[in-house]
Amino acid sequence: MNREEAPGKSPEDMYIQQKVRVLLMLKKMGSNLTPSEEAFLRNYAGVVHSQMSQLPQHNIDQGKAVTHAHTHTHSLTV
Amino acid sequence: MEMMSIEADSVVKVAEWQQTYYATDSGIQSGATTVQDDESSTEYSGNKKYTNSTTTGTEAQYSLTRAQRVRAAMFPETLVEGEAAMPVQSDPSQQSNVQRLAEPSQLLKTALVHLINYQDDAELATRAVPELTKLLGDEDPVVVNKAAMIVNQLTRKEASLRVLVQSPAMVASVVCAMTTATDMETARCTASVLHSLSHQREGLLAIFKAGGIPALVRMLSSPVESVLFYGITTLHNLLLHQEGAKMAVRLADGLQRIVPLLKKSNPKFLAITTDCLQLLSYGNQESKLIILANGGPECLVFIMRNYNYEKLLWTTSRVLKVLSVCPSNKPAIVEAGGMQALGQHLTGSSQRLIQNCLWTLRNLSDAATKQEGLDGLLQILVTQLGSDDVNMLTCATGILSNLTCNNSRNKTLVTQYGGVEALIHAVLRAGEKEDVAEPAVCALRHLTSRHQDAELAQNAVRLHYGIPAIVKLLGQPHYWPVVKATVGLIRNLALCPANQASLREAGAIPRLVNLLLKAHQDTQRHASSTQHTYQDGVRMEEIVEGCTGALHILARDPINRGEIASMQTIPLFVQLLYSYVENVKRVSAGVLCELALDKHSAELIDAEGASAPLMELLHSNNEGIATYAAAVLFRISEDKSSDYRKRVSVELTHSLFKHDPAAWEMVKYLCLWMSVCFCVQRCWHKSHTHS
Repeated sequence: MNREEAPGKSPEDMYIQQKVRVLLMLKKMGSNLTPSEEAFLRNYAGVVHSQMSQLPQHNIDQGKAVTHAHTHTHSLTV
Repeated sequence: MEMMSIEADSVVKVAEWQQTYYATDSGIQSGATTVQDDESSTEYSGNKKYTNSTTTGTEAQYSLTRAQRVRAAMFPETLVEGEAAMPVQSDPSQQSNVQRLAEPSQLLKTALVHLINYQDDAELATRAVPELTKLLGDEDPVVVNKAAMIVNQLTRKEASLRVLVQSPAMVASVVCAMTTATDMETARCTASVLHSLSHQREGLLAIFKAGGIPALVRMLSSPVESVLFYGITTLHNLLLHQEGAKMAVRLADGLQRIVPLLKKSNPKFLAITTDCLQLLSYGNQESKLIILANGGPECLVFIMRNYNYEKLLWTTSRVLKVLSVCPSNKPAIVEAGGMQALGQHLTGSSQRLIQNCLWTLRNLSDAATKQEGLDGLLQILVTQLGSDDVNMLTCATGILSNLTCNNSRNKTLVTQYGGVEALIHAVLRAGEKEDVAEPAVCALRHLTSRHQDAELAQNAVRLHYGIPAIVKLLGQPHYWPVVKATVGLIRNLALCPANQASLREAGAIPRLVNLLLKAHQDTQRHASSTQHTYQDGVRMEEIVEGCTGALHILARDPINRGEIASMQTIPLFVQLLYSYVENVKRVSAGVLCELALDKHSAELIDAEGASAPLMELLHSNNEGIATYAAAVLFRISEDKSSDYRKRVSVELTHSLFKHDPAAWEMVKYLCLWMSVCFCVQRCWHKSHTHS
């Protein structure tokens, strides 16, 4: 799976592209990578470069917009 | 001069009174004493008796002097010019009994004179009322005017006022005269009469019964300032003290007439007007909507911004407080600049004004999250976090919590104003007061996420020793809104690598795991029910999501990762992958992704059967979920067979590249290539096996 050949347009390259994309998205979301995964990205720096521009620009790992403001109604006194 | 005239009148009146009612001289004016002599005699008589044996020239002199002294003390106005009482005491500094009694005697005399006058006034009014009542209904406006003026004069004296109040016919004729008045003077006089009557409880009832309220409401359109003043003041008295008056004013379209009066410029007039609005709108939604429809919010905000008469500001803030709980009025007040206007009055000397403004701001704050120009207000609120007043703290934390919600500019400003440290101190001082603790923690949670100084805020919490206090909030007894807010804050704090150790040392991990277990068990217990379970208004699914999310970020630290895994949490996280709540799926996939960095944990994850739900999650529309799921599958498949990896690849392609046509072409080649490779591999294997 972890080939060190230069990427081309073969199906194998497709798989590399997938893995690079997933790892880059993980990094974008702030997650850690294993040493072998870091090495994988270093090996396929060219693919990394092309994938970087295709990653979504918005924050991915944000879940829902966080908080709704509380509605406070103070019990009134005359 | 006037005093002498009054005194002379008094003398005459007493003389008359004597002739009418009494034959004897009571001594009230003549000074003839009826009290016991301050020496030895025990007899009470109109004149002093003297025994022959004691009557001497000297004693007679003393007697005459005493009578004169008493008369001089009680009735100085009756002394002949040049006549003066001879002092008897040898020591001038010692007062005689007569001298000591002089002032009380004067008071008694004055009271008696007033009583006599009162009776006269009452009698006069009683005789005049029927006639005046008739004249007020005369066809001739001049007659009506004169009658109105006389009645107005009568209201100046208490005795005659009481007579008027007790005459329903008179009150009704005044109301009618006011309504039909063709000249300003008649309108003014009659309005003044009603105003005077409204100071008496019977007067209020009489006005109410005579249909005075609709008439007074009509007067609010008068061009005459004094009529307006009398009208609004009388209505104010009715609203304050007469049952049924509020309903009557509302029915007479009073609000529609009162709201435009907010454009007047007399501060005292405005104070009464705003108080009327508060009395009418408190607890009455329809009234609040009428005020809104007539431009009330804008006028009220204008007053707050442009006046400095304390009573007016206070009454206006009370109206705004009433309106601020109305969902329709709230945005209108905010749009009119209400937040900024109320914020102007938070540093003055009037505590009641400050507190009213704070409550109103808190009510409005959830509708003001997108307002600009709140810099000054935010700064003041941060300062108020140092207060010991629990009401002030409750409001300040609540307002800050709302204004920093999804507003990155406000978050940055509050952080720059020292809000982090101030909020930590508020949390420490709050203790068990959830009304302070919850909004304070929510505000900290906002400050530690999604703005340019979020990292600064995350570090500031640690540097101001906030982490132990925050983690402690997870302990029992659980107040779930506070727990929910704290879990979210811990998650944000963990984003800062420098906080990871402090959070671990404060015991965050075991507390979060225990909370997660408890909440999850609760959701499972009610799984068959379609209804969500709430505790203190918080769903347990939210606690599950929050705790898992916090553990996900904590797991970025390798030591924390080990501690989380060692608490046998992996089976639970795998189970959570099946949750129907998308956010729970996301955070559980996320924490498994971090845990899978460790080979041993990766094996445990695989052993728990995580592959199946993770394969499903590859197809999630949520990119985060699909990414985490893919990453976990990559990590647990490192030692797996090629078939397994092929399946992962195909599933990934179906999910991550499904919108990319070029990628689909590549997928076809991939599948073909993988299939060819597989066939070649099988053929080679067969040939070698046979041979």
